[in-house]
Amino acid sequence: MARTSWSRYSNRSFYLFVSPWVLGFLLLTVVPLGYAFGMSLTNFDGSSPRWRWVGIRNYTELFGDSEAWHALLRTIAYTAIAVPLSVAAALGLAVLLNRRLKALGLWRTIFFLPSVVPVVAMAIMWKLVLNRDAGIANALLHVVGIKPIVWLIDPMAFYALIILTLWGLGGGMVIMLAALQGVPAELEEAAVVDGAGRWRVFRHITVPMISPVIFFQVVTGVIATFQIVVQPLLLAETNSIAGVGQVPRSTHLYMVQVYQEFFTSNRFGYGSAMLWVFFLVILAFTLLIQRSSRLWVHYEVDTESDR
Amino acid sequence: MHDRRTASAAVHRLPLVKLRLSAGAIYVLLMALAVLFVGPFVWLLLAALKTRDEWAAVPTHILPRQAQWGNFVHALTDINFPAYAVNSLFLSTMYAVLVTASSAAVGFGFARLRGSGKRGLFLVLLSTMMLPQILTLLPTYVLFSKLGLVNTYWPWVLWGFAASPYLIFLFRQFFAAIPRELEDAAIIDGCGWTRIFLRIFLPLSRPVLITSFLLSFIWTWGDYIAPALLLDVDHTTLSVAITAWYRDPHGNAIPTVQAAAAALYVLPALLIFLFAQRHFVRSVVASGVKG
Repeated sequence: MARTSWSRYSNRSFYLFVSPWVLGFLLLTVVPLGYAFGMSLTNFDGSSPRWRWVGIRNYTELFGDSEAWHALLRTIAYTAIAVPLSVAAALGLAVLLNRRLKALGLWRTIFFLPSVVPVVAMAIMWKLVLNRDAGIANALLHVVGIKPIVWLIDPMAFYALIILTLWGLGGGMVIMLAALQGVPAELEEAAVVDGAGRWRVFRHITVPMISPVIFFQVVTGVIATFQIVVQPLLLAETNSIAGVGQVPRSTHLYMVQVYQEFFTSNRFGYGSAMLWVFFLVILAFTLLIQRSSRLWVHYEVDTESDR
Repeated sequence: MHDRRTASAAVHRLPLVKLRLSAGAIYVLLMALAVLFVGPFVWLLLAALKTRDEWAAVPTHILPRQAQWGNFVHALTDINFPAYAVNSLFLSTMYAVLVTASSAAVGFGFARLRGSGKRGLFLVLLSTMMLPQILTLLPTYVLFSKLGLVNTYWPWVLWGFAASPYLIFLFRQFFAAIPRELEDAAIIDGCGWTRIFLRIFLPLSRPVLITSFLLSFIWTWGDYIAPALLLDVDHTTLSVAITAWYRDPHGNAIPTVQAAAAALYVLPALLIFLFAQRHFVRSVVASGVKG
């Protein structure tokens, strides 16, 4: 195409259009992160003007802080259980729905619905369901002869949190369902003609075909689960930021610990150091998963290029 | 490649991959799962219709003997529910309008315009979709309190103007698929990009505009941590208010009234979802499958 000196594009108009996000990103993401790094080098307590620089002391203290280590390991354990479980459950549900069903739309709505429930309402609902004396969960367990379970304190609070996470898997299910419907039927048919059983077709054709979607679910799931703080806070008896210290041990995840440093101990500097370390940990995990993806994610030839 | 996609979409209702279950067994399984997913909603409503004694009774009463609609009256009057609802509504609407407008503009820029550094910027955008927002919230809170923005709605104005990576991505995908001829004609007529965006592309993107508005509305309506950090008793939203403030004179929580309040609070989100479900499905799929 012959192009004269005239061009319909100019840097000016491009940057004019994307400026809201560029400015927002700089002012509301980069600046706060930088500010947090600055704070992490001080002993700032959130209010008093008499703070001073302490260098990397917060970071060195953090490495010897067993509370923080426990919270981090607990978070990793929670993520390692909750993410595979909810990705697998979402896939299972999608497989169940990926067939000729009566009222498919209704089923999909039912499973999708909880994922739009605000976290506050979610916590209130599940506290009612899991209430030790008055909850329906224990009432049903009683019918089959199981003694009441104290769901919302240690050690069961951990599982209550997992139940809460699983209940909201509808978004993942919808994505998996769309991915399953994108798997070419001829491929699966050919395998069946060749004598492969259904499980083998699923294991060796369907799953590899949708593995990029599964991968995406795992990555976003890990990042989202790492930063969970509101759910443990609201499931606890004293459900407010001020009561963050009373979150049960088993759901005392890393971000809960950060909030506790900020708002119970008033250690804004130390809390900021925790934030930065966590930022790096999440980054490392994301890269690790990304690296491992080459081993198990099946990508087709770049589809972008044939547009 | 394209042929395969369309062909498979047409043929594909013939699922080969399924567990070896009879049709009846599948419906029983789905029914059982549905009970787990719908159960908490039902239990919330039942709790909202019980007296406090009935709620606490051992053994558990499943159904209330007589529906206590008064719990809903208490939910609305024990705390200043209407005022908090107005706060929530105002904040959610304002944020949704602003963030939709700004994200549409940025999405248009990434989809249709060219400029140096665009590729790099887009990569940054994609990676901020992954950035945990909760990490920046605490330092943002400290900064905002230094700037005197605590107990104002300015933070949401700023967040609205700043656009949302997720929504930008939705708009970008939509705008990128629009044929070039449309803008060619306008350029020959002498239109600038702003007019092309406002007059041609924006009206075409109605479904995405609706999706974006509803999604961002529900995000703000459901957000707990930002209002809890940034707003005081008078300015805060329904989500903070219903969490902890239904107490009897002894300071004990009143679960039945709180359940009623939670039902009222969750209702708008559920209604929006039920009426606009296809928008939600489309946006979730667009972000999850192609992302």
